[in-house]
Amino acid sequence: MGLLTILKKMKHKEREMRLLMLGLDNAGKTTILKKFNGEDVSTISPTLGFNIKTLEHKGFKLNIWDVGGQKSLRSYWRNYFESTDGLVWVVDSADRLRLEDCRQELSSLLLEERLGGATLLVFANKQDLPGSLSKDAIREALALDNIKTHHWCIIGCSAVTGENLLAGVDWLLDDIAARVFTAD
Amino acid sequence: MRIVDNMEVESDVFKENGASCPSEAGLKIPERMIKREQDRLEDVERKKEAKKSQSVTEEKSGFFTAAFSSERAAIEELLVGCSGETDRTLATQTLEEVTTRTQQLQKFLNDSMVFLPQYVLSRAQASLQKLQNSLAEKRDEILPKKRFAFRSRATNTPKAGPPSADPVSVITSKDSAETAVDAAISPPEQCGFSHFESQVLTKSGEEIKQQDVLLTHLTNCKVRLLGSPSTVHIKHIQNCEIFSGPVSSSVFVDHCTGSTLSFPCQQLRTHHTTNTQVYLHVTSRAIIEDCKEVRFAPLTWTYPGLDEDFKVSGLDRKRNNWNQVDDFNWLAVGTQSPNWSVIPEAERRTEWD
Ligand SMILES: Nc1nc2c(ncn2[C@@H]2O[C@H](COP(=O)(O)OP(=O)(O)OP(=O)(O)O)[C@@H](O)[C@H]2O)c(=O)[nH]1
Ligand SMILES: [Mg+2]
Repeated sequence: MGLLTILKKMKHKEREMRLLMLGLDNAGKTTILKKFNGEDVSTISPTLGFNIKTLEHKGFKLNIWDVGGQKSLRSYWRNYFESTDGLVWVVDSADRLRLEDCRQELSSLLLEERLGGATLLVFANKQDLPGSLSKDAIREALALDNIKTHHWCIIGCSAVTGENLLAGVDWLLDDIAARVFTAD
Repeated sequence: MRIVDNMEVESDVFKENGASCPSEAGLKIPERMIKREQDRLEDVERKKEAKKSQSVTEEKSGFFTAAFSSERAAIEELLVGCSGETDRTLATQTLEEVTTRTQQLQKFLNDSMVFLPQYVLSRAQASLQKLQNSLAEKRDEILPKKRFAFRSRATNTPKAGPPSADPVSVITSKDSAETAVDAAISPPEQCGFSHFESQVLTKSGEEIKQQDVLLTHLTNCKVRLLGSPSTVHIKHIQNCEIFSGPVSSSVFVDHCTGSTLSFPCQQLRTHHTTNTQVYLHVTSRAIIEDCKEVRFAPLTWTYPGLDEDFKVSGLDRKRNNWNQVDDFNWLAVGTQSPNWSVIPEAERRTEWD
């Protein structure tokens, strides 16, 4: 039995998923993670390393990794790629000036071999801001329609109001579950 | 959704099989058998303790550092040995071993991340990166070109070494291309000021309330935002004064020189900024990255309506971490970053308008 099969079997038994949350600094990754739990989001500092949370949702155990997005930390992202089932890419929809930067970072992630099997959820975050771009504008700016290598979906959300966060995670779980847990 | 675990690694080191005692009812067990069984149990107990304390030690970064460096040194030695090896098969074998052990070392580092302080982590990551680079070089040197499987893997490994190939500086080059993009995707309805010189620019509370405000390409300007915006982006600024009422989330500053900034906010994120004074009230944390000569002091600027705007922003007025600045280019704990400092009290500004 190959390692991958064993891994799949183990996950099947545990119904466990590993989600990796990445995006430029200031996108709102940590705020999203804390909001899931109804934790206080007003005391969040820019992430100097990473946060991990294990949540239970819909009968799955989710290990969510939230890694800091500052430029000086991006070279460490690849240390977290291994066995990722779902990639959550968080975008600050009001940060027009860095959309190109955002597109490039995402597209180089999608070339990573070790993320090859991951489902991609794009959160167009900060929809509560009046100047934010719509999820369709983000979809265009990030050229998501060109992605042929991964299952993907973009969802507009707000970590501050909590709007659509669960909808996003539910989609991600369903997609991963369909791929990983119904394989046999 | 239920939270199960928060930044904790579970270890099953302690899970020993319960030692079963064969003293079944009605059976007469000889004295020495019981004694032997007791000894055995005690031994199991001792071993358990030893394991426990070992795992505690393992989780200490001191142990990590020692284990990490000795393994790294061993791998390096193997790698050096490769060069003198004239037998190609042997050299290839050694390379394979080096590859495997380097991967294991990376895994060891990954698994230890949870309990390592950031600077230990950064240092370990950097030295591992160096090792991976020398390995890649050695591969190119030793293995014949037709082993393209190796070559493609080698090119995948980002070449560190010279800072020019560092991902950080690659990203900097994108910055220059950005200006063209700015213009293309900035629609006119964006709240803020762009492309002004030597002007006094003011926005009222009504105009900016809960807005995301953008200030770009300003030179010698005085900007006053007299209200509570949701977030503020400040970019390409020279010799300006930018003061704002309480910003309920983050302020993002990029490419700012010779300026004075003042505002309350939840987070301050400062990039590529030099020779700038910040009079700050920050409820979580200020950070700098790629900055020099940034100086901080507590906020003193005020305007009629500040109290009311503080309430609107939801910021905690009693919590001000203005002097706890994280420098992302200076992760050594315990030593002050050379890139920022506190403005001595005597030098702080007292006149504001
Ligand atoms: N208005 C608004 N602000 C948000 C939203 N999500 C996050 N923020 C704010 O954006 C700022 C950055 O949020 P963080 O969660 O720290 O961002 P991050 O992506 O974790 O950043 P790094 O840790 O540096 O990678 C904070 O001030 C948040 O309050 C949102 O949906 N709406
Ligand atoms: Mg964060």
